[in-house]
Amino acid sequence: MSDDDDHIIEPHTSTLHTRREFLRTSMLGAAVSFSVPVFLQKTFFTLDAMAADSAIQTATGKDSPILVVLQLAGGNDGMNTVIPYADDNYYKARPVIGIPRQQVITLNDRVGLNPGLVGLKGLFDQGNLAILQGVGYPNPNRSHFRSTEIWQTASDANIVESYGWLGRYFDSCCKGADPTVGVAIGNQIPQSFASLDPTGVSFSRPEQYRWINGDHSGSSESVYREMNEPIMDPATLDENDGGSVDSLPGATAVNRHESTLEFLQRTALDAQMSSDKVLAIAKKYPASVSYPHTALGDSLSLVGRMIAGGLATRVFYVSQGGYDTHINQVATHARLMGELNDALVAFSQDLTAQGNFGRVMLMTFSEFGRRVNQNASNGTDHGAAAPMFAMGGGIKAGLHGQYPSLEALNEGDLAYNVDFRSVYATILDRWLRAPSKEVLGRQFPLMNLV
Amino acid sequence: MLAPLHARQWDLQKAAHLLNRAGFGGTPDEIKAFCDMGFDQAVNLVLGGPDDSAQFPKPEWAVPQNLLEMRQQMMMLAPDAKKQAQQQVQKQYRQEDIDLVNWWLQRMRYSPNPFREKMTLFWHGHFATSVEKVHDSYLMWQQNELLRQRAFGNFGLMVKAVSRDPAMMIWLDTRESKIGHPNENFAREVMELFTLGIGNYTENDVQQAARAFTGYRLDPRDETFRYAPFQHDNTDKTFLGQTGPFSGDDILDIILQQPACAAFITRKIWTFYAYDEPDPGLVNALAANFRESGYEIRPLMDTIFRSAEFYSPDSVRTQIKSPVQFVVQTSKLLETPLARPQIALNSLREMGQVPFAPPNVKGWDGGRAWITTSTLLYRYNLANFALGTGPLQVVRPRQLADTGKGAGPANAFQVQNYQPPDLNKVIPAQVRSDPNRLIAYLCFRLYQDPLTPHDTETFIKYVTDHGPNPSDTTLRELLHLMMSTPEYQLT
Repeated sequence: MSDDDDHIIEPHTSTLHTRREFLRTSMLGAAVSFSVPVFLQKTFFTLDAMAADSAIQTATGKDSPILVVLQLAGGNDGMNTVIPYADDNYYKARPVIGIPRQQVITLNDRVGLNPGLVGLKGLFDQGNLAILQGVGYPNPNRSHFRSTEIWQTASDANIVESYGWLGRYFDSCCKGADPTVGVAIGNQIPQSFASLDPTGVSFSRPEQYRWINGDHSGSSESVYREMNEPIMDPATLDENDGGSVDSLPGATAVNRHESTLEFLQRTALDAQMSSDKVLAIAKKYPASVSYPHTALGDSLSLVGRMIAGGLATRVFYVSQGGYDTHINQVATHARLMGELNDALVAFSQDLTAQGNFGRVMLMTFSEFGRRVNQNASNGTDHGAAAPMFAMGGGIKAGLHGQYPSLEALNEGDLAYNVDFRSVYATILDRWLRAPSKEVLGRQFPLMNLV
Repeated sequence: MLAPLHARQWDLQKAAHLLNRAGFGGTPDEIKAFCDMGFDQAVNLVLGGPDDSAQFPKPEWAVPQNLLEMRQQMMMLAPDAKKQAQQQVQKQYRQEDIDLVNWWLQRMRYSPNPFREKMTLFWHGHFATSVEKVHDSYLMWQQNELLRQRAFGNFGLMVKAVSRDPAMMIWLDTRESKIGHPNENFAREVMELFTLGIGNYTENDVQQAARAFTGYRLDPRDETFRYAPFQHDNTDKTFLGQTGPFSGDDILDIILQQPACAAFITRKIWTFYAYDEPDPGLVNALAANFRESGYEIRPLMDTIFRSAEFYSPDSVRTQIKSPVQFVVQTSKLLETPLARPQIALNSLREMGQVPFAPPNVKGWDGGRAWITTSTLLYRYNLANFALGTGPLQVVRPRQLADTGKGAGPANAFQVQNYQPPDLNKVIPAQVRSDPNRLIAYLCFRLYQDPLTPHDTETFIKYVTDHGPNPSDTTLRELLHLMMSTPEYQLT
C-alpha cells in the first residue's frame, strides 16, 4: 500500500471492523447500551439465536464458490436464442422473424444457437456452458412484474412471497456476514435479495462509491465515519444489564420489522463499510482483459475486478435490459444476443486469466419466453417457458432437459419441462452448498448441472 | 379512523408535514407563514392554489408536427442527407427531453401552487409513460398537461382521457391495435396498473377488453387522436361478467363499477401522501366515499389532508424523499437555484427517478426501493455539490437503457456548482455564534424535527471544536454532515 492512499483500507488487513467481526466480538455476554440503534440490538438477538445452531453457518471465505446471476429483463425470446431449427413448425409460426436454418449455429441435429452467440458455442464446446431447455413453472403469468416477482422469490404462481430466493439463502447461510455477501451492480437491489435480515449492497462506479467532502483537514470525514461506524466500546456496556439473552425481550423474535429510520441507518452503515473495500479493490485490480463497451460489459468487468480482489461476495447480480420485443424484433434481438455473447466471452476469459473460472458460475434468467407465433408487428408477445444458460469452469456442460414441443402448446406458448426452482435447488445444494429445501420451502428435483 | 384533525392541534410541525407531503416543503419562514394561515385556510390553499400557467408558459417546441409531411420530405433526401437529417432530429429530441424535465422541475420549485405539481407527479407515476419509447417530447408535455389539468378532477374522466392520449397510445401500442389483431398491452395494463390491480380480472377479460380498444389511431398530420370505425371490433365482448358490443369507454365504465377500483386508487394515493400499508379499514372507508362521489379526487384529498391520521406518528417523517422531492426540496431549503438542466437530470438518473422516463409502466416502486448503498452515498455527495463544497461526477448518460450502449469511465467528468447557497440567508446571524441554537435552527430547517440528543451533541461538538466564530467553510461542512444522514432522507 502506497503512502498517498493511506486513507484507503486494505480489504484483508482492514482495521475497520466488519459488521460480522463487530457483532461477534461485542455480542457475547453483554447487553446493549441505550445508544446502540435498535436494528443492531435486534441483530445481536438474531445472531445469538443462530449461534445455537452453528451448523447453518457457512464460511464466506475467499475461496468459496460464487454465483453470478444475469437477468435478461423484458422477456427474452428463447425460441430465437436456442432455436429448434429442425422443426418445420418453428418456421411456420415465424415466417418473417424465424432465424434461417443456414444461419443457425447447430448444437445437434435438432437445436442450435442464435448466430450472434458464436462465442457461447465455443464455451459449449470447451465444456463450460450448459443450456437448460424448457425452463418455466406451472400456471405461467404473462405480466412482466408478476412473473419477474415469481422468478425472484421462487414462489408458486398463486402465492405472493415477500423474500427473494437469494435473500432466503443469505438468511439461512450468511447471517451476520459482511453486507457485501450480496452485490448488485447498478443502483438497485433486486427483489431476489430481499431478506428477513437485509443484506446486499449496490454500486456501479467504485470511484464514486464513497463519501466525498470538501474538507481537507479530515475533521468532517472523521465525524462522518464516527456517525456511521457504531463500533462499540466495551466500557460503555453496562454489565449489570447482561444476563441471559433469553430473558431479554425480543430474544426469540427473529422476525425483524425495521422502522424506515432503522433501515436508513443500516444502509448507511453498510455503505460506509463496503465503500472502503470496494474502492481499495478497484484501485488495485484493473480489468485483466478488454471488455466490450456496453452496459453489460461494464457490469461484468466490475464483477471480474471484485472477484479478483477477493471481495467476500457469494452472489453478484447484473442485468441486461431491452428484451421486450413486441415490434420488429429481428435487429433488436440480434444486437442483444451479440452484446450478451461478447460480454460473456470477455468475462470467461477474465476469470480464466485470474484462475477463478472454476469457482464462478454465471446463470441467466428472464421472466418469460415469448409467444411461439410472431405477432402482426413482426415481434413477439409475452410467452412462457424458455432456456437458461449456466456458464463456468465447474459445471456440467451440454444440453440439459428437453426442448418443449412446438405442437403441444399451452395457450400458444411453450410448456415447461423443468421447473426453474429445480435449477435454483441444484445451484443452492450443489454449488453454494446451502440447504435448498430450507431456502425454497420444499425439495425440488435436482439436475445434473454441477 | 378518519376523524378530522382539530384546528387546535395545528402547529408548526403539522404545517411542515402538510407542506412537505402535499408540496415540496419550504423554508422556516414559509412554514411559519403556512402555519399562521390556520388549518382550514392551509388545506384550502393546497386544494385550490392559484393558477400558475401564465408564469410557466409551455416550451416553445411544444407544438404538434406534421409527421406525414416530415416523413415525405425525409424520403426525398439522398441517403447521406437523410442520415444527417435524422441525426439532427434525434439531437433536437434529446435537447427537448432535457428541456422538458427542467421545465417541470422549475415549476415544482417556483410555482405558487406546488401542490398541483405534486399531484401531477403522483399521476405521472400512476399512468407511467416513458419518452424512451414515445420519442416525442411534445406528446410527453401534452400528457403532463392533461394530468395537471385533471389532477384534482374526476378520475373516471381522467382514465378515459388517458386512453385517448397520444403518448399513452404509443407507449402501450393502442395505435397498433385493430380488429383481428388486437394488441393486449393497454388492455392488460389499464386493469393491472391503472384501475383494478392484479387478481381482479382474468386473462380472458384482458383479451376481450383488447378487442374493445381497437380502432384508436393517431393522425400523423397533427399528432391527434382519431377514431377509425372500420378498424374497431364492434362485435360482442364478455367482460367482467357483462356482455355487449363494448367500446373502450364502455370497458372503462364497467371497470369503474368495480369496488376494487376505488380501493386500488385510494390505497395508492394514501401510500404516496401518508404512509405504506394502510389499514384495510382506512382504505375501505376512503374508497367508499370516493366511489360514492363518482370518483371526484378533490374531496378525497380534502378528507385525507384534514384527517388526524395524516398527522399521526405513523405518518410524520416516516417517508423517504423521492429523488425528485430530494432535488426540489433541497433547492428550496438551501434557497438556491436548481442545478443546470443536464446536471439535475443526471443526478435524478443516478438516484433512480427521471421524470418522463419511468423504468416501466408500473412506475417507480418508491419507498425503501429508493435507497440502496449506492443511491444513499450519491445523495450524500449530491448535498456536497449543492452546498458548493465539492464536485459532482457526471456521467454522460448511456443511450437508452434498451440499447445497452455503454458509456465507460472515459465519459465521466466532474462539475462544480457555481451557485452555492448564500449562508446569510440559510443561517440567521443571531444563531451563528451559539452552537446550541445553531444546531437547533438547522435541525428545523433541514429536518423540521429535532435530532436525537447523541447526534445533536456530535454536531455541537463539531462546531465548538472549530472555535468561537465558525467560518463559512465550517458551516458548509456542517450542513454537508447534517445532510449526510439518514434523517435528511426522511420527510
